[in-house]
Amino acid sequence: MKRITCAVVLATVAVLVWVATPAVSQPKVVRIGDLGSKVGVFEGYGKYQTMGIQMAVEELNAKGGVLGHRIEVISEDDETKPAPAVRKAEKLILQDDVKLLVGVVSSGATMAVMDVTKKHKTIHWNSVSCAEFMRTTKFHKYYFSNQPDSRMQANGLAKYIIDRMGKRVYIFYTDYAMGQSDGRQFKTALERLGGEVVGVAGAPLDTKDFSPWFGAINTANPEVLFLAFAGTDSLRLMTQLHSFGMTRKYRLAGIDCFLLQQDLASIAEPMEGFVQLNHFSAYNPDKNMQAFNARFKKRFGVDANIAAGAYDAVHFWAAAVEKAQSFDPDRVAEAHEGMCRDDTHIGRQCIRKEDHQVVMDMHLYQVKGGKNLPIARIAGTDSIGEPMVGRDPVEGFTWEIKKKN
Amino acid sequence: MAWRALAAFAALATLPALPGLPTYYLLLAFDALLFGAIAMSLDLLMGYTGLVSFGHAAFYGLGAYATAILLERGVLSVWACLGAALVVVGLYAAIVSYFATARRGIYFALLTLIFAEVVYTFFRYTQTFGGSDGIQGLPDALLWRGVAIDTPRRKYYLVLVYLAAAYAICRVVVTSHFGRVLVAIRENEDRARFLGYNVQRYKMAACMISALLTGTAGAIYPIRSAFATPDLMLWTESGEFIISVMIGGLGTLVGPILGGAFFTILRDKASSFVDWYFIVIGGVLVLIVLFMPAGLLGVRRLVGFRQWRHGA
Amino acid sequence: MDYLVTVLLPQLLHGLVFGAALGLLALGLTVVFGLLGVMNFAHGELYMLGAYAGIAVVGATHSFWVALILAPLLVAALGAVTEVATLRPIYRRAPLYGLILTFGLALVFREGARQIWGGDMRRILPPVTGSTPLLGMIYPNYRLFLLGASSVLLLAIWLFFTRTRAGVLVRAAVQDAEMLDGLGVNVPRLFTLTFAGSAALAALAGLLLAPVFTVYPQMGVEMILLAFIVVILGGMGSMGGSVVAALVIGTAQSLFSLWMNPQRVAIAIFGIMIVVLIIRPRGFFGREGILE
Repeated sequence: MKRITCAVVLATVAVLVWVATPAVSQPKVVRIGDLGSKVGVFEGYGKYQTMGIQMAVEELNAKGGVLGHRIEVISEDDETKPAPAVRKAEKLILQDDVKLLVGVVSSGATMAVMDVTKKHKTIHWNSVSCAEFMRTTKFHKYYFSNQPDSRMQANGLAKYIIDRMGKRVYIFYTDYAMGQSDGRQFKTALERLGGEVVGVAGAPLDTKDFSPWFGAINTANPEVLFLAFAGTDSLRLMTQLHSFGMTRKYRLAGIDCFLLQQDLASIAEPMEGFVQLNHFSAYNPDKNMQAFNARFKKRFGVDANIAAGAYDAVHFWAAAVEKAQSFDPDRVAEAHEGMCRDDTHIGRQCIRKEDHQVVMDMHLYQVKGGKNLPIARIAGTDSIGEPMVGRDPVEGFTWEIKKKN
Repeated sequence: MAWRALAAFAALATLPALPGLPTYYLLLAFDALLFGAIAMSLDLLMGYTGLVSFGHAAFYGLGAYATAILLERGVLSVWACLGAALVVVGLYAAIVSYFATARRGIYFALLTLIFAEVVYTFFRYTQTFGGSDGIQGLPDALLWRGVAIDTPRRKYYLVLVYLAAAYAICRVVVTSHFGRVLVAIRENEDRARFLGYNVQRYKMAACMISALLTGTAGAIYPIRSAFATPDLMLWTESGEFIISVMIGGLGTLVGPILGGAFFTILRDKASSFVDWYFIVIGGVLVLIVLFMPAGLLGVRRLVGFRQWRHGA
Repeated sequence: MDYLVTVLLPQLLHGLVFGAALGLLALGLTVVFGLLGVMNFAHGELYMLGAYAGIAVVGATHSFWVALILAPLLVAALGAVTEVATLRPIYRRAPLYGLILTFGLALVFREGARQIWGGDMRRILPPVTGSTPLLGMIYPNYRLFLLGASSVLLLAIWLFFTRTRAGVLVRAAVQDAEMLDGLGVNVPRLFTLTFAGSAALAALAGLLLAPVFTVYPQMGVEMILLAFIVVILGGMGSMGGSVVAALVIGTAQSLFSLWMNPQRVAIAIFGIMIVVLIIRPRGFFGREGILE
């Protein structure tokens, strides 16, 4: 027994020493971290994020890297949960010494990772999460986002819903950071524009059967059903709404990450007519977008999707590093501010100084035959809204339904 | 026995002094030791008393939430957090152990599982406590006025002190008369009853000690991670505690510590390279149950476990 | 009266549909527990594999109906192999070992499925489409089919256990496997077949529910706890109890969601379960002290 214990203790110490030996870093290599969901409800986003990063890094390395350093990507899986996301972020920053961290997918996990990047002063880009808190209450100087958050989506989409789809809206959202944020923003925007929110309901993440909520929706009798869900929840919800005949009964609108383009084909019929605001669609005839998609498709053999925004994030960061002539996080963060790029998939994109949100044009899309087709272009300045760092963007908000007589 | 434990803890205490050790490994070591400590507390139940709890994640998570709620509201003292966690976990554990220890074997496992699931569901769906996002962005806790537990090194020493204390408590428990009664219950519950022992009271006490130790570990976790989420109390987490105990060895205390640490490091290292490491972990668990039912370190003591099934 | 017809009855129907399918899932679990003394944590994964096997068969034959026969057979074969290789050696040990072992098996199956089929969600198109106006709402035909199919299956299983020699043998083995051994019945083979049958039932439930709930590797984990609750409520090892408990849970779940936030319903279900266990520890129809 004694000998075994000693042996195991020794082995453990040996393992610890082995793992503790710092990886000898090659001269002239800079690492960046790709943290995303590779498993679970959001893995579709994580995989495209990785591809976007990879494509940008290959382009940059072909031109000699950044500041003369070859870029190396280290990918980690966050299991779509805050705890592993934080652990992996710490690993990327403290062990691999990444100068840029891109991620993560789920808004809840992103906010947890923001605490890490703030503490360890690491440039943090996010291209998928759309909760509003990241550029308001949770904002810190190293954080940047080129994903239109819920406020931008509400600003761009609410007017179209009221003008063209109907004034009586039911908001059905997924009950965690992202869905709550979307629900709050849309309710505020719709009511401000004179619409009537006839009901709101939240269903937990990973709900299997949504039919218990359908009775309440039917009773409220809306014209428009606004859906704030993402990933596999959306797919299941649409399947069930369709089987209950509710996709034909109501007009449907939703958030940009409701369903990824590659999932649309299999659920084309229920999704017919669905309206959302988006910064990318492979079926947009816009020539910049087609050019980007053609390059993406040539490299990976599939159409790009919104998560490929990570591609722009890496280019922005590389440009900021060149501008700052340093990897120092404070100087790189400052170099980001106000920076613009003209050669993106949507033309000009600029990083707003105040809340580090990328301002870009977006399109309203409607699903026709399983394809997201553009119906209107929304200028970036119309949707972005004022910067509200440190403030609650919908102060005094309640879920209460105001009865109109 | 004691000098070896002291030597081991002294060795662990020098870890932060290793030259060139990236701070990340201190945090990984924190997780490993914390997981090990939880596995050790579970061993008190599984290995010594013969009760398998599938609900330890609830004790862990409740402790974590106790700390997180206090830190979020500006109560930064570590002692207040630990105290609150002990009270909350203690109350919950008293209820669970009262009902669960009334039943044996598989019923005990399932009852602890269901109770834990109630707690998980409550926190996941209660927006006051952050719903499924949990409570995030917590400030650093204070050891006492002006001394914050902010660096990885201080956090590491915090968990090391906890592990040492928990180990000492467990060691005292299992070598005491009380511990011998627990083993007697495991070996043959009816005989223990005929000998005049109030079996349920002993089981409840073992359950409470194990739960409080696990709850304390939970209370320490947000001090390192700055958040508490409902995932911490999901039943699969309880399953991972059990896996750690099985890897380490039933009824050895030291074994589960190593098992828990090994499991944590394996998961961290393997998940960077392969995404199918759960197949390996599951497979290893199956093989251990089939061929080394007392766990890897428990082999030499297998003799004492031949009767385990009757206690169950 | 209006309330009864337009609100209560549709919700009751939701509950019955779900409860009947849950019954199929729980039935396999309870038979295996009664006979083998193993609380099978991997039962949810067999349910998941049934759905994936269904997708594979539908992909090859383009027929849901063929899949409904073939997929359970494939999963039953896997179940038989699993039983012989891993469970058979540990029957003489504590039931707790079975719980831990099947927990490991569940991890292997779940991750294996993700490696083979990927982690994203798959859909199976329902073989019965369209909807019927019913009770003032439009009710999907497939859900009605689901209710019918599950009821017929449950009835068939009941007939199997009461009217056939094989069924009576299994029930006898639940009572006393050793005596059956003495009577010359090949008990190990009976165990293997029972486990395979339970796997087939899980697979069938998985495939039947797939067009409604969609298919993904975690689908089993999300169901297994509910199935455990059903088995405990019904009385461990009691088949009739499981079916009754499944219907009770199904309807309770959907009726509760009328009066409270659907999110609180999950807690209410656990509440029922705990209350039942305190008042009547052996469940609805359970025998005292089984495998304690």
